[in-house]
Amino acid sequence: MAGKSGRSINNVPESPIKKMIFSWEGILVILFILVNIFCAFFSEFYNLSSVLRQMPIYLAEVFLMLPMAYILVMGEIDISIGSIVCLAATMSCIVCNTGAPFIVVVLTGLLVGTACGAVNGLVLTKFQELPTMIVTLATQIIFRGIAEIVLGSGGSISASNTAGFTAIGGKVGSVPYILFLVVILAVIFAVVLGKTTFGRRVYAIGTNRKAAYYAGIHVQKIRMIIYTVMGTMSGLCALFLVSSSFGANTTTGNGFEMDAIAMAVFGGISSTGGKGNLAGGIIAAFIIVCLRVGLGQRNVHAQVILLIVGVLLVAAVALPNIIGEVKRAVVKK
Amino acid sequence: MANKSLIKKITGSREVLLAVILILLFIIVTILSPSFLTPKSLSDMLKNNAVTIIMSLGMLCVMLVGGIDISIMSSLALSGMAIGMLLKYEHISGTVLPFIIAILIGTACGFVVGLVISRANVPPIIATMGFMYIYRAMGYLISNGGEWASAAALGEFKDFATSNFLGLNCVIWVIIICYVIFFFFMKWTRTGRKIYAVGSNPSAAEVSGINVKNIKLMVYTIMGLLAGLGGALQVAVYASAMPDMQQGGEMDVIAACVIGGVSMNGGRGSVIGALLGSVILATIARALPLVGIDALWQNTIKGVLILVVVVVNVILQRIADRNALRGREM
Repeated sequence: MAGKSGRSINNVPESPIKKMIFSWEGILVILFILVNIFCAFFSEFYNLSSVLRQMPIYLAEVFLMLPMAYILVMGEIDISIGSIVCLAATMSCIVCNTGAPFIVVVLTGLLVGTACGAVNGLVLTKFQELPTMIVTLATQIIFRGIAEIVLGSGGSISASNTAGFTAIGGKVGSVPYILFLVVILAVIFAVVLGKTTFGRRVYAIGTNRKAAYYAGIHVQKIRMIIYTVMGTMSGLCALFLVSSSFGANTTTGNGFEMDAIAMAVFGGISSTGGKGNLAGGIIAAFIIVCLRVGLGQRNVHAQVILLIVGVLLVAAVALPNIIGEVKRAVVKK
Repeated sequence: MANKSLIKKITGSREVLLAVILILLFIIVTILSPSFLTPKSLSDMLKNNAVTIIMSLGMLCVMLVGGIDISIMSSLALSGMAIGMLLKYEHISGTVLPFIIAILIGTACGFVVGLVISRANVPPIIATMGFMYIYRAMGYLISNGGEWASAAALGEFKDFATSNFLGLNCVIWVIIICYVIFFFFMKWTRTGRKIYAVGSNPSAAEVSGINVKNIKLMVYTIMGLLAGLGGALQVAVYASAMPDMQQGGEMDVIAACVIGGVSMNGGRGSVIGALLGSVILATIARALPLVGIDALWQNTIKGVLILVVVVVNVILQRIADRNALRGREM
């Protein structure tokens, strides 16, 4: 059963309020509030306007989390997206430097991403016995390798014609465009995953692939679509990344795949498939973004923030399992 | 029928195929660049890739039980950085003590990872991803925020990588000893066979009285032990310790195992395969500059190679399955 929260399958009806607070999403909301209180005490500069100003750099990774949630729900994984971001950012910078209109630059970024995602999808659907981890490991090396070849010995490129990138990095009032885009896309992705036939099929594949296939679901077609969309979103992420750094180098997007997976898993989406929903993933993503902004303001090193993310990640998955096992042991006695 | 047996031979013995590829690779590179096949060049090649070659053994064990470990290079950095800082501030000296400390730290790292995976049932990829962040950050923290331990600070420890024993470099001796131990361990000890049993069918292994959880804990601890050893070797070979060493190197180790025929679903793979896989990768890395291909192409070629190997493997498997089916029908 792909339950709503996916964290517990409970046959005993509970009061709705208790259910809401003790569901994983409820815990995440409480955690989100706690993190914001903590950051406000930790850094005197932490307020709404400073968060809005500093969050765009971190928000780009949320684009990656959305389709990654679909892939994790299917019980698969894609570790090539960091490299796709690198390649898409490189290509869009190159096209930008030729003086092409900005719409062409945007299309290049999106198309390169889509093409890379389609390559992943094609290999994975033609040779479905292959574990996704291995295929995307190989394409991870290949895509970054291509970017390295394109960038040449210097290993970096900067966009000379920055007008367009500055424009998409702009804001309405004090709210940056990227936040609107993230919210809109998050709603679309969450509704498609939670409320449409397509989304329920994704859960079916993650719960039992063979059963889904026998039930007449085009498993390979759905996988192909999701991996391609994953590529497109990586392209989008690359564009917004360039809009804040105005350039790309061989380490652009390094480790993004892990950050995206961490956000999704922290949000309660099981990597073994069939469990979790995007609401949790989105709250978790904003927890991590706020934590990064807050700690970053007091010059806490990025590595320490990663340490906290790592602990949160392991604890988020380990604790429910441990609690469940203890409960079972108590019931047995 | 003759056709079938030939395919069976190739799919049946992955190691023979790999050995043929490796020999072909050696011949081609030697023809293109005679300086490749000299003792010095080969010794350098093994020395520079010693970390990957040794850690492939641990990854073999982990992948045999159907798991994966991407935290290894962070444990390596933590243990390497720990001895680097201890040597720099002269708390310890010599050669043996740093090795022991690094191995102990690595083993502890692996043990914690194993506990989380085997006792709390966290999926290996998620758990090791978390610890990849955690150990890397700990390595950074013990380095006082990004300090290096340079060659001068390491004292006589770095001489280990340049000294010889019986005409062979000490690092190569470490590789040989590790492989000999693992060859016997995996093939002829009860525990080694249990690892294979758990990987092929965990529930059957459980029913037949194997403690699956303990075996899983053990493989991750072994992986950590080798990561600690790798950390000491890394510091010795490159004569420096820094918190970001070998970042992303875990993918090389996984790639070496996959090329060597270790299955990601568990239960399939051998020590010889891991050796051949990692040596093939090392040879390619060494040979590309020698034959005049720009080093920039190295990653792309490596990735394409991994993809080709796994795809060819699937195709061969499909042919073998179809032939087996046809054989049964008749």
